[in-house]
Amino acid sequence: MSAVSEGLEKARRGVGVAGVGRPGASPRRRPTRGALTLILFAVPSLILLLLINLYPLVYAALQSVRNGTLIKTGTFVGLENYANILTQSAFWDSALFTLIFTVTGVFGSWAAGLALAMVLRTKIPAGGLFKVLLLLPWVVPVVVSATSWNWLVATPQSPLPVLAESLGFGNVLFLSSPILAKITVCVFKVWISFPFMMMMMSSALTSVDVNVYEAAKVDGASGWQTFRSITMPLISRSTYISWILMTIFCVNDFPTIFLLTGGGPVNSTTSLVVMAYRTVFQDFQTGPGVSIAFLMTGVLVIVSVVLYRQIAKVNIE
Amino acid sequence: MTETMLEHSTATVSPQTAPRRKSRPLDERGKWWRFVVILVVTMIVIVPIVAVGYLSLQPGQGSSANGFTFENFGLVFTQTNIAYWLENSLGVTLVTVLIAVAVAAPAGYVLSRVRNKLVSSYSLVLFVVQSLPVITAVIPLFILFAKLNLVDNLGGVVIVYVGSTLSVAIWMLAAYYDSIPISLEEAAWMDGCSLFGGFLRVVLRNSLPGILSTAIFSFLLAWNDYLVAVVFLRSDVNYTLPVGLETFFQQNSTNWGLVMAVAVIMMLPPVIMFAALNKYFSVGGIGGALAGR
Repeated sequence: MSAVSEGLEKARRGVGVAGVGRPGASPRRRPTRGALTLILFAVPSLILLLLINLYPLVYAALQSVRNGTLIKTGTFVGLENYANILTQSAFWDSALFTLIFTVTGVFGSWAAGLALAMVLRTKIPAGGLFKVLLLLPWVVPVVVSATSWNWLVATPQSPLPVLAESLGFGNVLFLSSPILAKITVCVFKVWISFPFMMMMMSSALTSVDVNVYEAAKVDGASGWQTFRSITMPLISRSTYISWILMTIFCVNDFPTIFLLTGGGPVNSTTSLVVMAYRTVFQDFQTGPGVSIAFLMTGVLVIVSVVLYRQIAKVNIE
Repeated sequence: MTETMLEHSTATVSPQTAPRRKSRPLDERGKWWRFVVILVVTMIVIVPIVAVGYLSLQPGQGSSANGFTFENFGLVFTQTNIAYWLENSLGVTLVTVLIAVAVAAPAGYVLSRVRNKLVSSYSLVLFVVQSLPVITAVIPLFILFAKLNLVDNLGGVVIVYVGSTLSVAIWMLAAYYDSIPISLEEAAWMDGCSLFGGFLRVVLRNSLPGILSTAIFSFLLAWNDYLVAVVFLRSDVNYTLPVGLETFFQQNSTNWGLVMAVAVIMMLPPVIMFAALNKYFSVGGIGGALAGR
């Protein structure tokens, strides 16, 4: 616990400068007076947190072992909900899709963001303008971009299917075939998320001394060697942090998927969040729905903790 | 915490570790292909956004207008409840920002200045809370709100937004306060200032960029949210813009001009804010301050 919170503490302060070494972490003297004031400072946030975040969590935990609905509390059924879910193939299908969605979302957007950040780092005409334009997918509300993507791909008369047909790919239905729908949703997610990665990687790259590259060039290092042994180690901290954040964003992502495909066709793009939402608000089964959300949360917390450890290790090195 | 914060903390805290020349762009001549690549990529990337603007300006079927026209914007205001949606969205968003910043500002101070077990566990709790899926909180809150008459009520939605933005807001502000030297407050205490006075006159006064970033973060969270709104808001006049746009889009799927006009109205505030305040734009909170949704 203390090791984790220490790492968190470091992360919190370190993140402030995104890996530019240590910030001004001079030991602070604790204010000796005004303890009451400090308590009063923290209390409102604590109350809200208990009410809006922790109360629902406890309530959800209790619901997950009952067979209730949105109106009835139901009776105690033990771990039956979990057992039912874990034996359903639909659950594992959607877990697999969540995994695919997250992995492509995290690494696709990271690769694109890093590549663009590296190009934008060099002197190019109108670099600032490109940077602003490239950040737009992150700035525009998801509801709006999903609407626009729907217009682009949803029906056979949409621009992209028409373009594909004229290029000789035949009748491509982006959202009607399960595999193509999966790919489209993942591409959409990468399109939304790469600006975030570009921003994170840009600020990490600013901290790398340009002279190091010039020295490497003089020593005859190839582009790949320079990237592998100079750039990567120097931006690894920001990289891990951005991976953690993007993993959380992807696993928890509801609108990106729901607004583009609604989870279909034939549940092929149903992620765990979408499944939990449907189970509760369309099938009105709170117990199983909450259990899905809980299983998902468990995996998410484990993944974040593992990645956090990685950050702590990078900090020590 | 993205560039604002980064710039600020490197500048104020450790100027000696960040000499200027580090951030000069790499000078690689003769790489004209980089420009071409970035140009092509940018053009492809902004197609969906340009399409929204373009379609919103196209005349609809049976219209006498030629070329670009603003008639779609007039039509959405007369044919739909968009005036309500806009008002609801603005109201919900502004109230969320006010409450979130007012509650997070003092709490962040505690997180930044007090170092003990209790406070670091609070920090840990905040981190765990922000990584929880919103759906886990939404289901029980829906059942609770149904009893309290808060379903289909904009106040209920504000409560959920404040809850989901609070932990990140506290972290963001704490990280910003970290960059303000405590010696400034100590000087104020010497002069007889109380702890509260020091916080108000010294820390808050110097934290405008941090507060602005936090406010923008909360604004975007509330303005862009779809999940919470679609669960809690049930009647047309109570919809916020995202839910309104979605229903409208389903009913009028053929009339893209009207749909896109609503979309333009919805994306204008974030885009204008981004253009005007991109210095304070923090992409995703805690650096984005571990913002998870």
